[in-house]
Amino acid sequence: MTALKRLMADWYRDLSEGEGPVVYLPVGGNVAELPRACGFRVFFPEVNALQCALRKVAGEFILRAEEQGYSPDVCGYVKSDMGLAASGGSGPFGTIPKPDILLCTTSGCSTTLKWFEALAGIHEAPLFVLDVPSVRDGAADPHALRYVVRQVEELASVLEKIGRRKPSRDRLAETLERSRQAEDLWMEILDSARAKPSPFDAFFEAVFFMAPITVLRGTPECVEYYRAAREEVRGRVAEPERRRIVVDGPPPWPHFRAFRDLFKRWGARCVASTYVRVGGDWDEGFRHDPSRPFESMAEFAARCYTNRSLPARRAILEREIRRFDADALVIHSVRSCRPYSVGQACLRVRDVPTLFLESDLADPRHFNEGEMRTRVDAFFEVAR
Amino acid sequence: MIVAGVDAGAAAAKAAILDSERRILGRGIARTGADVVRAAERAFRAALEAAGLQEWEIGVTTATGRGRFRVTFAAAQATEIACHARGARFRYPATRTVVDIGGQDTKAIRVAPDGSVADFAMNDACAAGTGRFLEAAASVLGVRLDEMGSLSLRSREPVHIADACAVFVESELLDHLARGRRVEDLLRGAHRAVAGRVAVLVRGIGAEPEATLTGGVSADAGMVAAIEERLGMKMNAGPDGPFAGAVGAALLALEKTGNHVRTRD
Repeated sequence: MTALKRLMADWYRDLSEGEGPVVYLPVGGNVAELPRACGFRVFFPEVNALQCALRKVAGEFILRAEEQGYSPDVCGYVKSDMGLAASGGSGPFGTIPKPDILLCTTSGCSTTLKWFEALAGIHEAPLFVLDVPSVRDGAADPHALRYVVRQVEELASVLEKIGRRKPSRDRLAETLERSRQAEDLWMEILDSARAKPSPFDAFFEAVFFMAPITVLRGTPECVEYYRAAREEVRGRVAEPERRRIVVDGPPPWPHFRAFRDLFKRWGARCVASTYVRVGGDWDEGFRHDPSRPFESMAEFAARCYTNRSLPARRAILEREIRRFDADALVIHSVRSCRPYSVGQACLRVRDVPTLFLESDLADPRHFNEGEMRTRVDAFFEVAR
Repeated sequence: MIVAGVDAGAAAAKAAILDSERRILGRGIARTGADVVRAAERAFRAALEAAGLQEWEIGVTTATGRGRFRVTFAAAQATEIACHARGARFRYPATRTVVDIGGQDTKAIRVAPDGSVADFAMNDACAAGTGRFLEAAASVLGVRLDEMGSLSLRSREPVHIADACAVFVESELLDHLARGRRVEDLLRGAHRAVAGRVAVLVRGIGAEPEATLTGGVSADAGMVAAIEERLGMKMNAGPDGPFAGAVGAALLALEKTGNHVRTRD
């Protein structure tokens, strides 16, 4: 955890004190390798909003955004970020740099587009929209991929102009190769949860372990982190587990500990979760590929979890339940994230006991511990 | 051995005392207000008094309800779902579906033929469609909770209430009153709005007959009629309904003592 905290602190420090142009990116299905290879510093408003929620400062920013007219039903991440911008852009991690360009991919979340439009207006910066068609059943259509590749090519020339640095093929290949290595290592860590008992919690721990692959993908620090993390997990002696669960949905960040403890009390270990794969679908074999730079970035953008149909997502859950030999499914539906939560109740898997919970990922007002505990306790009482 | 169950609910605390033959010796109830612990104690003392017993004569106490972890004199806790399922089957042994409408929560529970809980669903964090909504409606309309049922049953032209939201109901009812609508028609509308919410939960778990209504609201005949109308299903309901959670908790306490062979009913 210390190594992780240091990495995140370095990321923030480089953003507030470092040199070079800055790009804002969404988490889901982004093409971070390209701006990184062009010398851009990469910032993720979602990750920053998440950090604000985790450190319990999002509530104030959300109220600030609501004062400006954002409705209580708007995404908590968006409002946290808008409230932050209205407070001068200074959060608990220093001052966030203004973007030289915002690059929005449409496959992760449709609200991000409006969020980035608002940010582009505030910062008077250009917005590049990478339009990614829905892949529905998971297999990216070749025409759709070509369509995305063309846009990535166009993006390369835009970044070149803004960054005043030509993206060299070697540098891009190097970045993609580092992404691939980190992806291999991360998957190895997640796969360790197949052991019984599992030495690793694929949700309550993994949501922290996923930070480097989210914000530093393509850097040597990212590869280094996962190499060390894999060794650390390999050396663990697994604690006993009473239940093996699969979790769908993000955690309620402002109440993370209370939420985790609801499951810990019952000895429930999460062996697989979909949230740790919102960045990309490595568990289905996808890897960034230096020999197909633009194609693999386009494929990565298209295959992102929330860009899939509900039946395709249910198939993923069914597969994970089988592969990790889980005995229950927990669906955590958050009000903020419509791409995740709309239709989520239909993801119940036949013959697998399913617990459906509702709260939010950023807005602390939508979490009621007593009510949540009744549901969790009743679920495990019943499924005992 | 004599055991007790205490249901520390959001609106009221209920207590029930049972002997090892599963006979109810006494019951007690107290408004929760702002002090969950004292309400649970008051309900417990009322039950003791009704049973003619002293506290030391109670072997094991199990607590349930939102405030179950604050009931300091209880040896164990169980969720309302486990307790209401047991309490409902205790009174109506053929129960397969339990609808518990409490002060702050509404739950639908499907019970397997052997009495174990097969599935359940709850309202989300807000109090829409719960007793709190009906309390808010009664307060605006100036009627007592215990007269809501009989008034609602007299309605001839029920008014459609848009949502079972405990916050918006006030302005919506005031608006209807200003337009001259009758109190009983508005009460019927409020009961129907709750029944609509309940139906969503009940259909979600796959209701099977017999169905039993428990919780504080189960004593309201207007609510029973509205749910029966909405679900097209007869509901078991009666004055025992509010105590189902406490009785279920006491049955669990009995199982813990080992004096009683669990029959799963």
